[in-house]
Amino acid sequence: MDADGKEQIPLLKRFTNTTFFRVLRYTLMRIITLFITVVIGIYLTILIANMGGYVDQIMKGEIKERITMSMAADPKSRNLSPEVRQKLIEERISLEEKRMGLDQPLFVRTVGYLSNALTLRLGRAINMTSDSGSKTVRLILLERLPATLLLMGTSELSLFFISVFLALSLSRRYGSFWDKAVIALSPTSAAPPWFYGIFFILIFAAILKILPFGGMVDVPPPSSSFDYAMSVLKHLILPASSLIISSLFLSIYNWRTFFLIYSSEDYVEMAKAKGLPQKDIERRYILRPTLPTIITNFALLLIGIWTGAIITETVFLWPGLGRTLYRAIGLFDIPVIVGSTIIYAYLLALTVFLLDFVYALVDPRVKVGS
Amino acid sequence: MKTHIKWFTVLSILLIAAFVLSACQPQATPTAEVTQAPPTEAPTQAVVTEAPTEVPTPTKVPVTRKGGWLDEIVFSVVGEEQAITQLQAGTIDVYASGLSSADFPAIKDAGLSYAQANGLYYDLLFNPAGPEFKDGRLNPFADSKIREAMNWLIDRNYLNQEIYGGGSLPKWLPITTNGPEYANFVETARELESKYAYNLEKANEVITTEMESLGAKLVDGKWTYKDKPVTLIFLIRPDGDGTRKPIGDYVANQLEGIGFTVDRQYKTSSEASPIWIGSDPIEGQWHFYTSAWISTVLSRDEKDMFQQMYLPSSIQGLSVFQANKPDPEFQKLGDDLANGNFKTLDERSQMMKKALQLALQDSLQVWLIDGKSYAPYTPKVEVTYDLAAGIEGAQIWPYTVRFKDQEGGQLKWAEPDLFTEPWNPIAGSNWAWDQAAVRATTSGGVMYDPYTGLVWPLRIEKGAITALEGLPVGKTYDWVTLDFAPEIKVPEDAWVDWNAKDQKFITAKEKSPDGITAKIKSVVTYPADLFKIVKWHDGSSLSPADFVMALILTFDRANKDSAVYDEAAVPNFESFMSSFKGVKIVSTDPLVVEYYTDFYYQDAELNVATLWPNYLLGEAPWEVTAIANLAEANNELTYSADKADAKKLEQTSYVGGPSLEILAKYLDQAAGESYIPYANTMGQYVTADDAKARYDSLKKWYSDHGHFWLGTGPYYLDKAFLTEKTLTLKHFDEYPDLADRWSQFGEPKFADVQVEGDTQVKINSEASFDVMITFKGQPYPQSEIKMVKYLLYNAKNEVVTIGEAEAVEDGHFRITLPADLTAKLEAGSNKIEVAVVPLPVAYPTFASIEFVTIP
Repeated sequence: MDADGKEQIPLLKRFTNTTFFRVLRYTLMRIITLFITVVIGIYLTILIANMGGYVDQIMKGEIKERITMSMAADPKSRNLSPEVRQKLIEERISLEEKRMGLDQPLFVRTVGYLSNALTLRLGRAINMTSDSGSKTVRLILLERLPATLLLMGTSELSLFFISVFLALSLSRRYGSFWDKAVIALSPTSAAPPWFYGIFFILIFAAILKILPFGGMVDVPPPSSSFDYAMSVLKHLILPASSLIISSLFLSIYNWRTFFLIYSSEDYVEMAKAKGLPQKDIERRYILRPTLPTIITNFALLLIGIWTGAIITETVFLWPGLGRTLYRAIGLFDIPVIVGSTIIYAYLLALTVFLLDFVYALVDPRVKVGS
Repeated sequence: MKTHIKWFTVLSILLIAAFVLSACQPQATPTAEVTQAPPTEAPTQAVVTEAPTEVPTPTKVPVTRKGGWLDEIVFSVVGEEQAITQLQAGTIDVYASGLSSADFPAIKDAGLSYAQANGLYYDLLFNPAGPEFKDGRLNPFADSKIREAMNWLIDRNYLNQEIYGGGSLPKWLPITTNGPEYANFVETARELESKYAYNLEKANEVITTEMESLGAKLVDGKWTYKDKPVTLIFLIRPDGDGTRKPIGDYVANQLEGIGFTVDRQYKTSSEASPIWIGSDPIEGQWHFYTSAWISTVLSRDEKDMFQQMYLPSSIQGLSVFQANKPDPEFQKLGDDLANGNFKTLDERSQMMKKALQLALQDSLQVWLIDGKSYAPYTPKVEVTYDLAAGIEGAQIWPYTVRFKDQEGGQLKWAEPDLFTEPWNPIAGSNWAWDQAAVRATTSGGVMYDPYTGLVWPLRIEKGAITALEGLPVGKTYDWVTLDFAPEIKVPEDAWVDWNAKDQKFITAKEKSPDGITAKIKSVVTYPADLFKIVKWHDGSSLSPADFVMALILTFDRANKDSAVYDEAAVPNFESFMSSFKGVKIVSTDPLVVEYYTDFYYQDAELNVATLWPNYLLGEAPWEVTAIANLAEANNELTYSADKADAKKLEQTSYVGGPSLEILAKYLDQAAGESYIPYANTMGQYVTADDAKARYDSLKKWYSDHGHFWLGTGPYYLDKAFLTEKTLTLKHFDEYPDLADRWSQFGEPKFADVQVEGDTQVKINSEASFDVMITFKGQPYPQSEIKMVKYLLYNAKNEVVTIGEAEAVEDGHFRITLPADLTAKLEAGSNKIEVAVVPLPVAYPTFASIEFVTIP
């Protein structure tokens, strides 16, 4: 109590009541929670990728099969006595198991993978190499990143903006021909992108011969940068189109329905009744309250670009991360799987973390940590 | 609602239109080249307007072009599923990897040319442990008679027609069907195929007898053992080319049809391998497995297949083989054959025949299909391919691939992948697609005959083989001489090992003062102008130092005292040293090399040991190896994946990635010092000036092409684009040989055979049949035919006699059946089957004629 009889608020309490403290506390708690989520997610990924240790048996079986076959194929080894031959086979199996880390207990390896992943020391792949011949996971992923960003970025961003703007437009023309057309075409998204890809290849590459079958650039690649860029763009058309087309109508339909809900709010009707221009109604009364959702979708879309499109990349022989990941899964190459996952996990955690602040910025009703 | 229906209708029409369009794609897009009539095809009817005077014969213009026929070959990656479509569309010219025989009809329908090669060979592998597993369950396949009866249970022709579109061959024997060994033992093979032909009743009869003797009972049509159903665990592979699944289902159906309960476990390679390889057979985790094996070499000698595929002493050392309890006679025969324990080829022949019979009685593996693969290419392309390894595995492809009747041009070559692993010639990528490109950049001492599996001199003058007396070694071609000696002594000054510390070879005298002997001595003489005419792609001349460097690397990497020691190199080195006895460079002008070994092939040609700066996976001049060694010695790069993992280093790549900068750094260093590697030895072959010239030339090459991949082959690697997965090979103008040097191998000279004769033969009277043998309509020269065997079958399809047809003239042989032989035939339908074995191809041709015998 002070002299006036008012209750003295201790300095500490005053500080803890400040916005800064609230945000700081929230930030720390959020970081810790997200970190724990990432740790659990990554460790689960490691265990799943190892099939709880069953992959060890698979790999050991494969090593044995490969080495015995190669020994059998070597005519010189036929000169050896069975004992010497068996010794050589065992030596080679043991070397290979050691190389792949199978001489260490699974738990030790999984903990190693986890600690490396969390500290972003992505390490070396077990079997895979980058296109340039390196086994460094960082290089394996980085080498494929530009191609994936180009394909996924082009298609996903195009899809997002086309969908949002067309949906907004359709929401104004509820019941029109184009609105009905989009509704009717939305089931076309049931077919995956690679399905469209196959048809596009048949039509535009095999029959019309106006676009390439696949790959990222002409062979041999053009020597000038401009020609190279043009060649990449030409190769991008079909895979990007198949990714866009496969989701376009459903995406427009989703956004259009979303905007329609907001368009029929009372305050929008009121604005219309007041005679406000259509653009103002859209910007202030429809887009603004829907902004957090749009931003969330956009942010998740951006990090989704990182994952690539496994089958579409395979159909078009696009050298992206999706194919790399698919190959890594097939080869049980845990470091590559974990490397790809940890980057996605960190990006996702960061996005989720930042979105809370972005919501507060764009929507006055939201307070961080309140 | 109505609007929706309309839209769906429109959409359906669009979808159907897309299907129709895709189905209507042109079978072969009419382009100028493709629509040209094939030159081999004769016009159907010649229109003669004037009396013919003299038929103008086109004057053959001598070829002056050297090296490869093409100016450029561009490699790219195309998925197998798109290969035929892209060939039809003209975006690629050759798809060098073999497609499965299931694709064969599509290749033919598309009007494409194709190279046929060995594919996988499929079989059933049985778990022989038991007859009771650890937990008391019955394993019927522990009984060899039940395994043998499985041969009768399966209709191999049905499998070939239904699953492989008739594009493969039914297989009964461990040797390659229609391969060189098959030709040697055709009568035994045909006899066994006839004996073990599909016979469901016989299979059921034998299996029933054996099951009952094992204590099993047939209850309500189901086999039971100790009152429980006999359930067979069948590992069926659904992956790979997808053909093992229908095979598995067929076999399972057949077994279920005779009372077994089959637990069909569909497992991929990865899932199946821990079970059939990783588990102890007696645990009974599996009963049988849809196995498959592959051999991509044209094997002329398959005597070790019995040991390898059936016996506990199998080279593969897998527990399933060790669990087998074969007939002791079969065990001894198999081991003796594998170890070469026979003195004459005749003795070997008798042993092989017996072993083939015993193999089917053992039937640890029941062979089903000899698969074929098909590499398609456009009809405007000509290329020689290996009968076993196809196009991409053939050494000869770069020397023969061309556009028909054209010199030069750019060929578009496609494969399923490229740059799968780093390229270095010592322990780099050995993937088939990478090696296909590598082959075009390399040459060597000998050229593998794509049709016989023997070798021809490519860059050697002659070879002389001395074999230890008693070894069953023979020769076919004249370029090699063969003689025998009671003892072969290794000269005292021959190099037999390597001292990595002193960087000197160890001589025979130093290693074994009492002397060393060998089973084979090979003496190879190279052309006198070898070091003048053969150039590396950067323009440097080949030199003896290149040969010596390659020899040093054979030893050095496996030596603990070496700066480039790699423990992964040791097992292979030990295997090599188990037969290596010594090498001696007799002279360098001309280069003459003696080589001593205990390892031998039956063909003298294959025993010719040609030294060449060709490491396991490609060529390299000594200076490239020198800088890569420096990088390895300084722990910055390493050749093998194993050492790279162990030391956490990058694996050396001569064509891209982080290696290039490191190699370039050591190139600068070596050039600055005129560095001579292994100076104590190499110093005798290289001077400082030579070294400087080589390094300078390499620097220029690297600056022009951006990589360190050098060879002496007909094409050089111009540019490699690793992420784009494409590379460009360009014509090497300084290659010494004319482009048509290997044109005699245009296409395999398979014999066309027809048997003609009376379709009615009177019993007890002489009958004769004519065997007409042609190639492209011309009589097959008698001198090129090794033999014409015939087999006479009676009405019960039993072999009555086997004989050899008599030569009449070129392309004409005659079979005469004497009266006493026809007397043995009953009235009915009989058959003569003929096997023609030509010399230019190792694969025989079969033909037959049926005739009726009347009293």
